[in-house]
Amino acid sequence: MIVTIARLTLRGVLNRRRSLLMLLLALSPVLIAILIRLAGRSADPVRLERNLLDGLVVRTVLPLVALVLGTGALGSELEDGTAVYLLTKPIPRWKIALAKLMAAGGLTAALVAPAALVTGLLVAGDQGGGAGIAFAYAAATVFGSFMYTGVFLAVSLATGRALIIGLSYTLLWEGLLAGLFAGSRSFSIREYTIGIAGIVDPGGVRPPLDAVTTVVGTVTVLVVAFVLTTRWLAGFQIRTAD
Amino acid sequence: MTTPHPAAMTPVADRSAASTPPGADGSAATIVVDHVSRWYGNVVAVNDVSIAIGPGITGLLGPNGAGKSTLLHLAAGLLRPSAGSVSVLGAPAWRNPATYRRVGLVPERETVYPFLTGREFVSLNGKLQGLADPGGAARVAIRTVDLDDAADRAIGTYSKGMRQRIKVAAALVHEPEVLLLDEPFNGMDPRQRLHMMELLTTMAAAGRTILFSSHILEEVERLAQSVLVIVAGRLAASGGYREIRRLMTDRPHTFTIHSSDNRRLAAALLACDPVFGAELSDGILTIRSADYAAFTGIVAGVARDAGVSLYELRPTDESLESVFQYLVAR
Repeated sequence: MIVTIARLTLRGVLNRRRSLLMLLLALSPVLIAILIRLAGRSADPVRLERNLLDGLVVRTVLPLVALVLGTGALGSELEDGTAVYLLTKPIPRWKIALAKLMAAGGLTAALVAPAALVTGLLVAGDQGGGAGIAFAYAAATVFGSFMYTGVFLAVSLATGRALIIGLSYTLLWEGLLAGLFAGSRSFSIREYTIGIAGIVDPGGVRPPLDAVTTVVGTVTVLVVAFVLTTRWLAGFQIRTAD
Repeated sequence: MTTPHPAAMTPVADRSAASTPPGADGSAATIVVDHVSRWYGNVVAVNDVSIAIGPGITGLLGPNGAGKSTLLHLAAGLLRPSAGSVSVLGAPAWRNPATYRRVGLVPERETVYPFLTGREFVSLNGKLQGLADPGGAARVAIRTVDLDDAADRAIGTYSKGMRQRIKVAAALVHEPEVLLLDEPFNGMDPRQRLHMMELLTTMAAAGRTILFSSHILEEVERLAQSVLVIVAGRLAASGGYREIRRLMTDRPHTFTIHSSDNRRLAAALLACDPVFGAELSDGILTIRSADYAAFTGIVAGVARDAGVSLYELRPTDESLESVFQYLVAR
């Protein structure tokens, strides 16, 4: 059942033009890496690699791809009315939530993780520690994909303005406020993602959070997002014309 | 829809409960709506409605925006009642996905996954229902709605009527005991409409409960054994279609007349049987009659006998909405 729903979701998502744009977005760090290689070696390739993976992939590409795919996985169906065919079936709501999360999170990871790996390897794969960092970020973006899409999936059930709310969270909270106050970093999906990269490659990545905070934060985000999606699906009410 | 706050409205529960139709064939009710209201903020979509619907075809008749879709969605468990309760086949409709094993819904909205073929869509619905052989069930359902020829085309290429039929096939794939259809005849040509009516009649004869909404009296009249008239969120009338038809035709009719001598014509018409009221103002004569056909049959002769020239005769308020409003105000 979960596979059927996930497959249907993937067909729906891939059928939309914005998914193609997401592919281009995911490819952008790879293109930049190619340009960097063509332009010649920088003084510190490993540092450049870290900046590129941290600044471009985790901070920009990952949340944007996850935002579009996460809010689209269920939000588009709710908007155009096709969700009714899913909701009027004798399926436990947690299965629908899990299938949607698997489809949207899996697709985001399939786009972003290879992009992170290839980008890292292109920039500094042949340097000491460069390949390890590329692998660590690729692994971290897999977790990041599921965290972000999970949250955006839940938000798309709660409001029709999930895109705006998701963008605000990414730009305002993670981009600005979470860096301003001590302790606020502990409540940021981006920091958990980089934290996972730090756990995978402690020598190459210098994460902002310790391992325990990272693991607790990651698990909490995934569980809360999943539980909320299930609960809100169970109580979902159709928007009726009259 | 109406706008006053629910608390400010007069309940119509007594009348609606009293006029509750039993199952069309006299058997026990499968859909029970018990003092249900549904409001959005301070807008009332359904106002204290109580009905019990049994096997057979029941038509939900009312003008656009009367609350028909809201009522169907409440029965389909897609909306939570703000007050009261809805049960289907003895189980609560709200927050009870297991009920969908025995209930099928044909939504009004046309959108169906455009990238799927008709067969894939119906088979998908079978899979989601957990059927052992969704492919076989899809074949039967597609044949039932007579869409074999187009079954392997993408739904994106379907006409409105074909979409409507593939939606019905999807709702039928698990052979539900209760079928809810929201404006199922929209976009169908007369032949398709007839075919769908035959299909629903056959299904009802097999003992299923079919509840469909429509804003067109003729559709309901031809199909439904039992009719529920919904106006402004209230149950305005219920019963067999003959009874509803009689209520609708027996109401007073109003005509405006423009003639060479309104005063003389008014006096002549008031002497006639079907006319029970006349009013003169601003050069326009307004006549009230109890019988539409009788009045229009005599008016020309009366005017001629009185030596008055008729310039214009116009029935007022013949819209379906005004007919419904009359039923509510009754």
